[in-house]
Amino acid sequence: MHRRAHRALLAATLATMAAAASADSIKIGFNVPLTGFAAADGTSALKGAELAVEQVNARGGVGGKPLELVVYDDQASPKEAAPLAVKMITQDEVVAGISGSYSGSTRAAATIFQENATPYISAYAIHPDITRAGEYVFRTSFMGEVQGRAGAKLIGETLGKKRVVMITLNNDFGQSLAAGFKEKAAAFGIEVIGEYDYGIKDREFGPIVSKVKADAPDAIYASGYFFTAGPLVSQLRAAGITAPVIGQEGYDGQKFIEIAGPAAEGVLITTSLDRDSTDPVARDFMAGFEKKAGYPADMVGASAHTAVLVMASALQSAGHTDKAALRQAIAATQVDAATGHISFNALGEVKKDVQVQVVRDGAWHRHSVISDAALLAPPEK
Amino acid sequence: MLALDLLIQGLVQGAIYALVAVGLTLVYGLLRILHVAHAALFTLGGYLGVLVTNATGSFALALAVAMGVAGVAGIAVYRLAYRPLLGRSPLIALIASIGLFIASEEAFRIIFGAHGLSYVTPPLQAQIEIAPGISLSLARIAVVVLAVVLLSALGWLSLSTRTGVAWRASVSDPPIAQAFGIDIERVRHLNFFVGSALAGAAGVMVALLNNLVEPTMGAVPSYKALAIIVLGGLGNVRGTLVAALALGVVESFGTIYAGHLLDRDAIAFAFLILVLMLRPQGLLARS
Amino acid sequence: MAYEIIVATNVAIAILFALSLNVITGFCGQVSLGHAAFLGIGAYTSAMLTKAGMPLVLSLVPAAVLAGAVGMVVGLASLRVRHDFLAITTMGVAFLFVGIVRKQDALGGEIGIAGIPAPAFGRPGLLVLSVVCVVAFAALAVAIRRSWAGFAFESIADDEDTARLLGIDVPRFKLFAFVVGTAGAGVAGGLYAHQVRFIGPDSFGFVESVTVLAMVIVGGIGSVWGVVVAAALLSMLPQWFQLVDDYKLLLYGALLFATMRFAPDGLAGIATRALRRVRGAA
Repeated sequence: MHRRAHRALLAATLATMAAAASADSIKIGFNVPLTGFAAADGTSALKGAELAVEQVNARGGVGGKPLELVVYDDQASPKEAAPLAVKMITQDEVVAGISGSYSGSTRAAATIFQENATPYISAYAIHPDITRAGEYVFRTSFMGEVQGRAGAKLIGETLGKKRVVMITLNNDFGQSLAAGFKEKAAAFGIEVIGEYDYGIKDREFGPIVSKVKADAPDAIYASGYFFTAGPLVSQLRAAGITAPVIGQEGYDGQKFIEIAGPAAEGVLITTSLDRDSTDPVARDFMAGFEKKAGYPADMVGASAHTAVLVMASALQSAGHTDKAALRQAIAATQVDAATGHISFNALGEVKKDVQVQVVRDGAWHRHSVISDAALLAPPEK
Repeated sequence: MLALDLLIQGLVQGAIYALVAVGLTLVYGLLRILHVAHAALFTLGGYLGVLVTNATGSFALALAVAMGVAGVAGIAVYRLAYRPLLGRSPLIALIASIGLFIASEEAFRIIFGAHGLSYVTPPLQAQIEIAPGISLSLARIAVVVLAVVLLSALGWLSLSTRTGVAWRASVSDPPIAQAFGIDIERVRHLNFFVGSALAGAAGVMVALLNNLVEPTMGAVPSYKALAIIVLGGLGNVRGTLVAALALGVVESFGTIYAGHLLDRDAIAFAFLILVLMLRPQGLLARS
Repeated sequence: MAYEIIVATNVAIAILFALSLNVITGFCGQVSLGHAAFLGIGAYTSAMLTKAGMPLVLSLVPAAVLAGAVGMVVGLASLRVRHDFLAITTMGVAFLFVGIVRKQDALGGEIGIAGIPAPAFGRPGLLVLSVVCVVAFAALAVAIRRSWAGFAFESIADDEDTARLLGIDVPRFKLFAFVVGTAGAGVAGGLYAHQVRFIGPDSFGFVESVTVLAMVIVGGIGSVWGVVVAAALLSMLPQWFQLVDDYKLLLYGALLFATMRFAPDGLAGIATRALRRVRGAA
């Protein structure tokens, strides 16, 4: 009895101390893969989110209270993400959550956030069903389909290339990009003359490269991440294939250029971070990220940064941390972030322009911008 | 033409598979252990290759260092993990090996970062036209040459030297070998050194082909090399070589012509299951 | 409470999954490196059926039947290939399962199946259902081990050829072990699908197969209680290790290695030795 009372007292003291330390902060949950196969993207996402929190707090926080990220490693695993979401909501009492993770874990956590009527923003997971978890779930990055359509326009219209080979990554990212690309390919006069799939663990593309060489396409639409696209592009170029390669935000980062080396020159991607942006928010982000992370900004970091800024601005305009009011405020977002001007449609999908970036002299630069609202319209339900 | 090109690409991949899998089959032949942590030595080789090349500018030195260190690390794995568990069910060693592999992947990530490393100036990038319309990078040719040289050396070692005789005797009949005064422990050490050095060499070459080493680069070899040694008849070096090349070629053609039905791993394992249903002891059964 | 409930459900599902493999690997000595395929078959079956309106509890029956049916086919393979050849064959079956599911639009392909309905009885109800399934399966496992089948399993695990000489119908008992074990995994899959409410091909990869085999071996091959404890501990580790996030998997791997290295007979062995020491001291 005595001992139990003592322990309760100790717990109460510790709790008070913790509360005092966080000075009545506003807690935002952040699930992110820090171990396992997705750790590279998770690391960048965490850096981007932390940078946003530091920037907001340096300006005095939200309504005088600092933001605080409650970070959990979800290993990009749906099984681990679901309990973590519950923990954030019921034990850490976060006012909202942000996913800095991949699709599977984000989709699983979104269900929990919706069940508990707590706002949740997916920073860069592209699974089409994430926002369909319900009205509390938003996404600040493009859906795969939307980016696939932009890719079709870029190749068929901007570049005027018609005979295209698709190299598609076997996962939800690759599959939804391919679906969007094929949906609009004909509209831009594109004929898909070959389509080859590869797995996320593949780094050796010899057979596909041989076949693409035989196909002799005008352009190559290849989905992937920097760690697959780097080897792929360098192997394509090594085989003497000179057709332009068009990728997406998965390539976006300095590491792609480091892996592919000279072969990276001229590669185009559809993404959401414009390296040559003159917008102060974007410039601030890029400078701050490189200083904090020790490597140049990437799409994942920018997306996590954007998601936190959207959340901060919604907290500001809602004026308090009531979850329903916060949801309303997020839905009404109009924010200029590192990845462009952000607003949401009825489903909670972002409406913004697609940035086309190109590798020139070993760095990403602006190529063009696709701002075709009808083409880029995400689904409304 | 395309068929020839695909065949060549498959053989290059098969050469890498062979370098990784031969070490594994040697371990299996001697200890009957599915040595998953072998893939960690492959990763170690890859990291050393990039680190030493970037530091010294010498790829040859990097290859030698990677093979040497991976070999010694292989001996350490044997002494640390397997020797104390020799009398137990091989499943115990399998799980210990898996634990070691997971921990080592994470150690690479914690030490060298999640984004992996690349060669600053990757060597052997020149293209050579080996047949009209088919050109290969020097790196790819080097993979094949290295595999042929190293595996021939292994063949010579086991067939024509006293050590080799002792080695083969220990594999085929340990008690008799011991009765003839062969130092089984020495053979095992040699076995792990050679097998792991080959895996280290494979790691260096894969790092060169992809210009990337990552903490998880051993993930595919960790299971695919097991498939190869089973396909080859478990513990049979010649069978392993045949299986490695066959699997490389099957994957090469499969990726192009069956890629819309099955992914690459599934194609490989469909082939494996088919072969095992027809020949339950693998392509070349153990004598 | 909500957090404890969802973690406890995860643990219960992991225990059921591990117990199901224990019948095949622990009791009957047939190593499977591809047990996640059966978790997947159960999960997809149950999820598709509840999405079509079937109650969860009912959907577990076809989940078990379908997983058990495919398990029987793999069991037939075990009559042809043995030992490590079988281990790698089962691994191949799991890769084949994932590879096929990826390319089937009817199963959601790479996108998987989202929006799996919440169980009508809520998360506490799902926990109760999972615990009931675990208890029922554990009871079944204990009953099997104490029966004639248990003796047959043991002799097959020990030495298949001797078992045959003893007049044991080896093929029949092997098939029996595979059907029971894979059907159990199918039920675990159905529960899993409604716990996470999202499944995709990558939810049932090689890592899951290895994890569940590790639970069986760490528990102590064949020991029901050892496997229960090991599955509970290993499935809770990621949640426990939150404080040391960056080193979580490193510790997990190191722990697997250390347990095998220093206690090769698993938790069951540790418990037996501790018990003996206590008795010796008394």
